[in-house]
Amino acid sequence: MKKIAVFLTILLLATSTLFAAGTKEEGTKETTLSVMWFNDANESDVFMKTIDDYLKANPHVKVDLQVVAYSEYDQKLKMMISGGNPPDVARISTNTLSVVVDSLEPIDGYVDDIEKVKQEFLPSMVAFAMNKDNKLVAYPTEATANGMIVNKTAFDNAGIDLDAVSKTWTWSEWEKIVSNVIADNPKMKYGLAVDFTPHRFSTIMYQFNGHFLNADQSAMEFNNPGTINTLNWFKHVHDSGLVPKSVWLGSENPAELFQAGLVAGHIGGSWNINTYNKNVKDFEWKVVNMPKAAINSSVPGGKFVASFKGSANKVEAQKLMAAFSDNAHNEAYCLDTFNLSSRADATIDYPSNSKDFDVFLSELKVTPAFTANEWKNTNLSKVTTYIKEQIVEVLLGNVTPEQAVANVDAKGNTYFK
Amino acid sequence: MYGRASPLLFGNLMKKTVQGNFHQIKAPLLFLLPNILIFVIFIIIPAIQGLRMSLTEWGVFTEPTFIGLANFKELFQDKVFWRTFSNTLVFSFFTVALMMLYSLLLALLLNKNALRGEKIFRSLFYIPSLLSMITVGIAWRFILGDEMGIVNYVLRSFGGEGIHWLTNGNLAMASVILVSVWAGAGYYMVILIGGLQAIPLELYEAATIDGASPARTFRSITLPLLKSTLLVVLVLATISSFKAYELIFVMTKGGPGYATKLIVQQVYQVAFMEDRMGYASAMSILLMILIGLVTIVQFRISGKDQDYE
Repeated sequence: MKKIAVFLTILLLATSTLFAAGTKEEGTKETTLSVMWFNDANESDVFMKTIDDYLKANPHVKVDLQVVAYSEYDQKLKMMISGGNPPDVARISTNTLSVVVDSLEPIDGYVDDIEKVKQEFLPSMVAFAMNKDNKLVAYPTEATANGMIVNKTAFDNAGIDLDAVSKTWTWSEWEKIVSNVIADNPKMKYGLAVDFTPHRFSTIMYQFNGHFLNADQSAMEFNNPGTINTLNWFKHVHDSGLVPKSVWLGSENPAELFQAGLVAGHIGGSWNINTYNKNVKDFEWKVVNMPKAAINSSVPGGKFVASFKGSANKVEAQKLMAAFSDNAHNEAYCLDTFNLSSRADATIDYPSNSKDFDVFLSELKVTPAFTANEWKNTNLSKVTTYIKEQIVEVLLGNVTPEQAVANVDAKGNTYFK
Repeated sequence: MYGRASPLLFGNLMKKTVQGNFHQIKAPLLFLLPNILIFVIFIIIPAIQGLRMSLTEWGVFTEPTFIGLANFKELFQDKVFWRTFSNTLVFSFFTVALMMLYSLLLALLLNKNALRGEKIFRSLFYIPSLLSMITVGIAWRFILGDEMGIVNYVLRSFGGEGIHWLTNGNLAMASVILVSVWAGAGYYMVILIGGLQAIPLELYEAATIDGASPARTFRSITLPLLKSTLLVVLVLATISSFKAYELIFVMTKGGPGYATKLIVQQVYQVAFMEDRMGYASAMSILLMILIGLVTIVQFRISGKDQDYE
């Protein structure tokens, strides 16, 4: 027994010495930053390429990049934060930002003039990245918008002047036009595919004057005439065969359907420009203005980089983010990823698709301001999956639009109490 | 599977402890200790923690607040939860029934040592059980997809209409059941082959001499002597079916609507997307009780005398 006690004491001392040596190591400059990332296309590769000069100039800083699928990103990040082990830096979308905003490290303690930093970015993007204490907690990187990308070749085959009709078309006019496009293109089966997300659904909902929340965002108000009209329209275009049921009922990828030439148009995000640039070789495509319902609207969004309150390497993380977000690095990153910049002073000469970006930007300009505030709301983020399920229940005919919106309000308001 | 045999063996040992000399079972207890410790640390303690969490209102970023049985009260009125409950029962019943039949059939066919290339067939049927269920789900989604799926492409090539494998509620449930059976049967086939090979050949020889038909031989010799192995397969398949998540998440995401959504998917959604860990824990407790009840019923139906020696 005495021998065992001596052995255990020696073991304890030896391991304590090892940890002490580790502590001494942290006092040196060597830092490995854990960076968590998700890709829409090639953003992680471009990120590493963009910060290569920073890493060369700061050889004591290493980056351990972990790329996680977007479908699991939110949950993984939440668990890491909750477990007290957040990454040092993470790429964050507007949806995720609303969930983790209180866990993010404010930037003002790491820069000389925070107001100057804020002015470098688009006001709507800065608004997304403010916490409840009105502090900036993330650097905006890309600005995104939802829009309609169409198969131009198919419209040409149907003899339709896409540039002319898309300037002012309504959803009723779109139905007639796209029916002709389908008829004149043997391979084409559908007029439109819409991403299977409430975010993309809300693009159309806002056009019909619908909304999720009441005016002061203190309660759900999904039950409103605009939203009910949207649900009726959405069910109508599915039942009439203009929109494939396999996306919202079967989780088929709408981008794949578009690339296969099966659908004439795709309502998705501006990040699809990068994907389609690389993958679509069989036909011409372009971004056009979405048809109007009561109003024209897109949905603003973006991507950000942020560090966390629980991070062990906040100083180096903030320095890396500041460098990555400066004008030169941001322009290079957005150029190579074919994304809109969130910087107010960015001028990017895209090698192609400049007009497509212009269309996305023009739609953002006419988007009502409240749409950004809705998607920033933490309580709304908790009920979006249920909203998606109720929309599907409407498409299946299991509930009426009126029942669906009432169900959503009942469920969502439990989070606003 | 790791911890499931442990309580039974431990129970038998405890009986012997009471009845016999402690010193005689000290060594076996010490050998069992790592298993028991792992079982307690990774099964019992988390279950107790889950029960504790189910009595709280708790978000990922907030402190838990004790609310007593309020989560369970809400659960009994939650229509979505009871929809997933009935889906789980349907999925489990048909998956287990078909899995047992299919794996038994494969085991009977591939146990004869008379077929040429039998071992190759055994391997081929076993391979799907080695694959990650995410891989299986992705592959079958590409096969069964409405627009991009291979099956519907072939059907349309021959002038037919595509079938809504994953967009029709009933067909979607049938599809995930059949894919589950396809993916898991090889594993249980191997267990049943082991059980079949443990049956003495003399019994079959005697039956042949007595003029028994193959059906009679199967009914009177094979089934009774395979009973304990079948029970193991039944219990494992049932527990596995109640926990099915990755395959359904990848193939249908629980859709269309709620058609293929099981309790496990709802637990995940409530915990991580709706940020209600306490309420999700209450669902998990109910699921645990359900699995426990079903397992007890299975053991009772199979009879009390189980030969583990």
